[in-house]
Amino acid sequence: MKLNNGKIRGIVAARQFLYRFGIKTIIGVIGVDAELIEATSYKEIQLITQKERCDFIIVSEELLVMPKCCSLEALQGDYPNTKLLVIRDKAVENCPYSSFVVNTDNQKEILDKLQDFFFEPEIKETPDDIEKLLLSGREIEVLKSVALGFSNKEIADKLFISINTVITHRKNITEKLGIKTIAGLTVYAMMNNYIKPGDAIQ
Amino acid sequence: MNKILLFNEKTKMADVIHKDYRLIPVISRFGINFGFGNKTVLEVCEENKINAWFFLEIANSYHNPQYFPKKQLQSFASDLIIQYLSNTHSYYLKVKVPEIEGYISGMKKLASVKNLKNIELLEVFFKEYEVELEKHLDYEESRVFPYILALEKAVNEKECSAELLGKIENEPIEKYERNHDNLEEKLGDLKNLLIKFLPPVLGKEICQKLLIELFRLEEDLENHSRIEENVLVPRVKILEQKLLQISEA
Repeated sequence: MKLNNGKIRGIVAARQFLYRFGIKTIIGVIGVDAELIEATSYKEIQLITQKERCDFIIVSEELLVMPKCCSLEALQGDYPNTKLLVIRDKAVENCPYSSFVVNTDNQKEILDKLQDFFFEPEIKETPDDIEKLLLSGREIEVLKSVALGFSNKEIADKLFISINTVITHRKNITEKLGIKTIAGLTVYAMMNNYIKPGDAIQ
Repeated sequence: MNKILLFNEKTKMADVIHKDYRLIPVISRFGINFGFGNKTVLEVCEENKINAWFFLEIANSYHNPQYFPKKQLQSFASDLIIQYLSNTHSYYLKVKVPEIEGYISGMKKLASVKNLKNIELLEVFFKEYEVELEKHLDYEESRVFPYILALEKAVNEKECSAELLGKIENEPIEKYERNHDNLEEKLGDLKNLLIKFLPPVLGKEICQKLLIELFRLEEDLENHSRIEENVLVPRVKILEQKLLQISEA
């Protein structure tokens, strides 16, 4: 994480005080000198980020409005330069937006993950990485559903978007990948571990 | 490959292949074997009891997609065209498909543990394609071709059974959706999966051969569809019209 005038600013967001206090303590323990702003709701995160630039957001899952990956993506989309760390019961696989700390992590795991979070070299989306990812997070969600055999209508309902948006996503996916058939998209999704063989509905 | 020069009956058969090696499978589909020395197309065809003019039309239309003398091709008897198309079908199923499968299983043998899964996915994908192709070709052989031959017979005998007439009215050739689109798309997808997304494989040479075969199969199928759509279907429409007129008279 790049330091802004020597000091970084971030949000620690969780409903309970104990949670926030714990996170702030650990950040201190691993030697990060950061200006920490506390938030207790998703709305608050939005208000804070509207006012000032944040380098990172550490957020507990319960603050993320449903569907979870949507607000993660929204958050990342609005603040492309902000790093996200989510604390929840389990990590979301292949989620390009965020690092995860899991509730069952022990002390060492939590310290390691937070250290990685703050000190790992910048791997944030350079143009190269975007090129590598090819599809946006939203497109990956749509691709998964297509590969699993859901109809446009079902996908629209599932992701809270209009059918037209689903169709646009599908068009973009096909254009980016050069793969037109559902069978082909399924192979692509499996190759990239977006879905597993057992996932498909019959 | 010189695409402007067309072949004629005096062209040496060996030159046909020298000018366009893609015609190798076409020649074998006609049942022509190598070893024709310096004989011309006409001579080789006569020896093999093949209609040389029909052979030339097919060879030329493969050689140059812009060359398509529909009228001439349409003047050949349907059974000639159908026999050629049937031969092409069995070439796909008996030669091309096993060849491609062989390359895929060759890649599997050399694959790393990690990449094996991906190659197996491609294998399943191609199997699905094969089933679809088989179904499509089978439909043509068992439904479309006999219908066309029946039409031709009826026109020649100027006599149309009520059953056939009913078919002309209810299931004209127009209704027969030539479902090539999905087949072509699947082949395109397979190519892109190989070119763009399959992690580097150990058997590079086999992978290259596979890709080249896929391109060849695609090209061959395109030519095949062109003959069906530009020659066979218009011809059947004419036959259907004729029979309707006869029955009205």
